[in-house]
Amino acid sequence: MKKVIMGNHAVSWGAQLSRVEVISAYPITPQTQVVEELSEMCAQGTLAARFIPVESEHSAMAACIGASAAGVRTFTATSSQGLALMHELLHWASLGRHPIVMANINRALGPGWNIWTDQNDSLSQRDTGWMQFYCENNQEVLDTTIQAFKLAERVDLPAMIILDAFFLSHTSEPVDIPSAETVDSFLPQREAKVKLDVSDPRAFNGLVRPDSYTEMRKDQHDAMERALSALEEVEVEWEQLTGRRYGAVEAYRADDAELLLVTSGTITSTARHVVNECRDRGDAIGLVKMKAFRPFPTAEIRKVLKGVKRVAVLDRNISPGHGGIFAEEIRAALYDVPLDDRPTIFGYVLGLGGRDVTPPVIEEIITEARAAKGPKREDLWVGVTS
Amino acid sequence: MSQKRHSASPDGEPPVVAMSDTSTLENKTGSWKYIRPIYRDQVAPCNATCPVGIDIEGFMNFLREREREEACKLVLRENPIPAITGRVCDHPCEKACHRRRLDQGLAVHAVERMMGDLILADLPDILLVTRPEKIGVVGSGPAGLACAYHLARLGFEVTILEAAAEAGGMLRLGIPEFRLPRRVLDRQIEWLKALGIEFRLNARIGDTVPWDDLGEFDAVFVATGAHRGRGMGIEGETGPGFRSGLEFLKEVNAGGRPDVGKQVVVVGGGNTAIDCARTALRLGADALVLYRRTRNEMPAIAQEVDEAEREGVRFTFLAAPVAVNRAEQVLESIECVRMELGPPDESGRRRPVPLEDDRFTLQADTVLTAIGEVAEFDYLPDDVEADGASVVVTLLGGTSSTVVFAGGDMVEQPRSVAYALGSGKRAAIGIDDYFWNRGEEEPEAADWDSFRFADGNLSMARWYGDDPIPRSAPNNRVVRPEDVNLNHFVPVPRHEDRELSGEASAAGFDEVNAGVAEQDAMDEANRCFNCGVCNGCELCMLFCPDVAITRGKNGERFHVDMSYCKGCGVCAEECPRGAIVMTREGL
Repeated sequence: MKKVIMGNHAVSWGAQLSRVEVISAYPITPQTQVVEELSEMCAQGTLAARFIPVESEHSAMAACIGASAAGVRTFTATSSQGLALMHELLHWASLGRHPIVMANINRALGPGWNIWTDQNDSLSQRDTGWMQFYCENNQEVLDTTIQAFKLAERVDLPAMIILDAFFLSHTSEPVDIPSAETVDSFLPQREAKVKLDVSDPRAFNGLVRPDSYTEMRKDQHDAMERALSALEEVEVEWEQLTGRRYGAVEAYRADDAELLLVTSGTITSTARHVVNECRDRGDAIGLVKMKAFRPFPTAEIRKVLKGVKRVAVLDRNISPGHGGIFAEEIRAALYDVPLDDRPTIFGYVLGLGGRDVTPPVIEEIITEARAAKGPKREDLWVGVTS
Repeated sequence: MSQKRHSASPDGEPPVVAMSDTSTLENKTGSWKYIRPIYRDQVAPCNATCPVGIDIEGFMNFLREREREEACKLVLRENPIPAITGRVCDHPCEKACHRRRLDQGLAVHAVERMMGDLILADLPDILLVTRPEKIGVVGSGPAGLACAYHLARLGFEVTILEAAAEAGGMLRLGIPEFRLPRRVLDRQIEWLKALGIEFRLNARIGDTVPWDDLGEFDAVFVATGAHRGRGMGIEGETGPGFRSGLEFLKEVNAGGRPDVGKQVVVVGGGNTAIDCARTALRLGADALVLYRRTRNEMPAIAQEVDEAEREGVRFTFLAAPVAVNRAEQVLESIECVRMELGPPDESGRRRPVPLEDDRFTLQADTVLTAIGEVAEFDYLPDDVEADGASVVVTLLGGTSSTVVFAGGDMVEQPRSVAYALGSGKRAAIGIDDYFWNRGEEEPEAADWDSFRFADGNLSMARWYGDDPIPRSAPNNRVVRPEDVNLNHFVPVPRHEDRELSGEASAAGFDEVNAGVAEQDAMDEANRCFNCGVCNGCELCMLFCPDVAITRGKNGERFHVDMSYCKGCGVCAEECPRGAIVMTREGL
């Protein structure tokens, strides 16, 4: 069934089809229609879930952790400052190995107050042990929501589905909604490997001494690594059911490219358009879309970027004092590539706080990256008058 | 505590998490506690307030569980005439209802009325006489009916002596048909006759029947009411154009249609005054109620005042008549003085104080006085002590004469149908107690505490020992507003009565109030908080952080595993109805 729905509702539909059993959320700004729609589904009985409204995002995540510990499929959604408030419990969720799925609408952090898109909220949670998947369109949002449950429950790690504020969250697009039977066959009811059991009660999350803590961390990290191959398997299965597949990394018209753009989120769609125009006029420009940020798809990134002369990474985020975060991570991933095959990385910071990234902006980046001898610090900022 | 140590867990293996290897059941956290929860039922405010002593909370709970028959039985245990009280009682229970803090108090009257009508549709079996004593009941008003009914259920042979040609007392004489249709009253009396109670009509003690004739009975309950209208103490109030409001009501209620002229002024603020005005309106007159205080102080049922106003009755507050103007023995007008409210009097209401210079004149063809009635009991023998206005009685209705009991409007208590019913029930218990413990002193009032809800009226179910709802003892504390956890309730609008429009109701003597539909009454029962009484909602189980509460066995509602209850008090805090208390360990 095809429906024209906004990104927020694509998340809601995805969660509904995944038959989540507990949803806990803080219902006020920066919350979105994601949980509004879900609360209505619960009220109307089209979703048999317990909806727990709480007084803060911190409590929302705490409630999700509690519900997940009881063994049920659990969901929440948030954005920007709300995600920041959850920070402590994001660690708790991951180290407790709770396969909670959360949608985060990428919004800039304040002050100054800004409700538009950028990635600093989710990237600030890089080391909390959550998987992060950046989506390009509403179809991908819905598909990824359903896949995220399967993946999370397989490796016992929480997953964050990330979509751009307004460009996806409030923009309506046609979305193919799979049938309940299809999703049920793909995603059976959760079977928790560890859960609270009142007939055999255990103590959870107590003191872990130095002789064991590292092992716990390693198991978390190993699970993250395994998630990459698991994601591939999950995607194959989804493709068999729906014909759709995205990949942790997608190379688009990248063959023999002299310059590759690397993007995430909705900038990818704009870049696709620009790449098509470049190719039409004979310019060998290609595109690499990064969907998975955690786990970081190091091997795939090396594979697609190896041997390319120039790579321009478009970062809708900034690590102040260092640079665009995707660019820095890609540079680190390529360090082991032999010098001859290692591309020059041009990092561009742009589109912060929802500033529009238009085709001419990307054209300008392409022109500059092709012409420059090498990257310069001052090249970092796009569209900023100094 | 130790932790599970694995090498990296592959798919399907449990992840490495901080979890104890062994069960935490070893850890008997119950040893930490210094307070423990106890399921202790408290008294719902409605039950503590009901002058009849009906287990309102109990029947609401039965209805919530859809046990309609049990609910009806429970009401009938205390009140023989719920179809009537559902219509005419002022329901102090509704004012005490804790639900008022959330939205509106429970419509107890509507639920009671529904059950009363259900009961009337199904005549019960005749009660068996199991005792040798015969009891005479003088007066067939609510007090007499209640006493006779309860005595009959206790196994006595009961005869009611009624001065009028028809039974019912003030229910028939004083309450207009548009509030209490005669078919309901007749059916109710029929029902009591069918139980085996004998009715002797046209039997006025001290007149057609001498007091000494009551010697055939082993004990007598007298409840002949208060019938003589009180005077206002102004000159001319006994002349033409002036009538006692109650006499007027009696005449109309008996089928009379007296000529009251165009303008009727009713003096008073109680139910009799409102009934007089509404009746006068139905006879074609303009009716004006003159009351010396304000609407807030009116003792009449507020809903009745609203209905009267809707029908077209006018009100003049803060005024009282001081003089009468007649021309050639025909009433023309009354002169009134305006009042203001001073400090509260002994009734707690603000006392009206006349503003002597502020006077006005009201045209009137008829003035009906409804400022209270006086009880007359000259027929009683001298050994029955009275303090002038009323017969002196004990808690159980006992008078200074051993086998004479009294109740209703002739004893010192608020004058309402509910209080009359309550006094009749107490006297029935008094008579029963007398014949069981002949020669013993009547127990002190405090000795009766186990037979009532807090300081409410006595419970026949508890006296008889067949209360179907066992409540944990001591059951003597009334639920305070703060004991109810409103967080666990959502607002649901009260089911309001279906009433005729003002125009339609003023046009005749049809019943104005049709109550609520049967299903609505059932739904109304769902609004009950069941204050103070565990109804098995399981929230304590759900909230216990130690999973120490489970469903109980062998009559115990819930079982608390004291090995693990660490006395946190969450159960008592979350209990929506205040049925759990925390008590100190070792005390």
